[in-house]
Amino acid sequence: MAEALLTSVQVWLWIGVLVAAVFLGWGIDRIDEDARGAYVFRPLLVPGVMLLWPLVLWRWWQLETLRDDWLKRHDPPRRAHTLAAVGMAGAIVLALGLGLANRQVWPADIAPLQLTAPGVPTQDADG
Amino acid sequence: MSVKYVPVQWNRNKYWYDAAMLIGVFAFTWVYLRVAPAWIDHTRPVDGAITNARAFGTCAFVMMSMILAIGPLARLDRRFLPLLYNRRHFGVMTLFVALTHVGFILGWYYAFSPIPRLEGLLTANTTFERVSGFPFEAFGVFALVVLMVLAATSHDFWMKFLTPPVWKRLHYLIYPAYAAVVAHVAWGKLQDQQDHTLTVLVVALSLIVAGLHVAAAVQDRRRGDPAAAHAGSGWVRVCSVDEIAEGRARIAMLPTGGRVAVFRHEGALSAISNACAHQNGPLGEGRIVDCVVTCPWHGFQYDVRTGRSPAPFTERVPTYRVALDGRDVLVDPEPNPLGVTTAPVPVPDIEEGGPRPAPTGEASA
Repeated sequence: MAEALLTSVQVWLWIGVLVAAVFLGWGIDRIDEDARGAYVFRPLLVPGVMLLWPLVLWRWWQLETLRDDWLKRHDPPRRAHTLAAVGMAGAIVLALGLGLANRQVWPADIAPLQLTAPGVPTQDADG
Repeated sequence: MSVKYVPVQWNRNKYWYDAAMLIGVFAFTWVYLRVAPAWIDHTRPVDGAITNARAFGTCAFVMMSMILAIGPLARLDRRFLPLLYNRRHFGVMTLFVALTHVGFILGWYYAFSPIPRLEGLLTANTTFERVSGFPFEAFGVFALVVLMVLAATSHDFWMKFLTPPVWKRLHYLIYPAYAAVVAHVAWGKLQDQQDHTLTVLVVALSLIVAGLHVAAAVQDRRRGDPAAAHAGSGWVRVCSVDEIAEGRARIAMLPTGGRVAVFRHEGALSAISNACAHQNGPLGEGRIVDCVVTCPWHGFQYDVRTGRSPAPFTERVPTYRVALDGRDVLVDPEPNPLGVTTAPVPVPDIEEGGPRPAPTGEASA
């Protein structure tokens, strides 16, 4: 499971590298006039494109096809802030409460247990 | 302000901000690693790599707490606004401190792992079905990924490219990320019932952050920008003209969404969008100097009559048509297209207004 997850992450990032190469080398000049002739800042954008390449492709398509709604740029989602703030406060209280209430207690003189690699039989402390 | 993208738009304030931040990080880790060990119970020795991991982990937590506190503090008291100025560098630095923490963890606990270290991290504890002993690593991994996304999209290009609504929704992830960091520590280091100092620090800082956000939300609800009232013929009433001081603005929420800022400048009224084109800072809270209003967040400037930044800068915000009905200030809630200028509406000298004039402010490209 973890191996498959990490492999998926690698594939995701490699696709992101390809998208970054095309977008930052060619596409960005088509959709942003401020980027034309400006090259030094582009490497800073590579990590973002690698992480969010589907979003980048979606926005690129919107701007290329003139589907961008300019008015939305001036309507920030401020109303959602109250919900986010209260939700975060509740989650913090919950995390602190559950984490501290379920503190684990162990004896100071517990017998040591040798840990082994997966697939290798565990050796008992006395054996 | 930008004409072309540059990697970082440095100025003296940013140098000071970043210098203070770097000094703070070095001072914190130095005290943690060099001074604090003298206070620790030496009957329970800790390896150097573990101490390093804890130093950078604790530093990252404190930095995240400070970042999360700056926003509500600035809303509760404008004297904290300068802290908002270069917060993005604060966030990027926090990511690097957090990555250092992860580096020490992987390099120590998983140094001899027979499987790749990251895979070892993800499989070390998989008791997701239990509250006690829940895999606290998962909380940390989630928060780290969020910090990466936020840092990677912190350049001005991303705000413009994704649009503020998308960018801001993406950056709302900082709230669950911070809660995840609290959970990461609560299910991690705080399980050590002997570490009272860290317990007090984490509980105090996280509750302060939570309290500040709730307090700011309550204040917004009580004393936030009023909603503009319908005034007939599609126009809305913002306020009385006497409530707008010279060089200042009144902000109102429009029924169409968004906010309008109506400015009084040289005895005439002009209205522009309240959201700065840079990071949507509240332009209506700025002051007009030399015909332009300065955004209180990052100093972007706009001519309130045209919605344009002074040349050679290229930022623009929409203007709105304004009218006077007696002393009532009316606004057409439909914004003009970007670049369209409206004529300012003169404020009559008489204390009580006469009959309602025809809506003025004819648009011109």
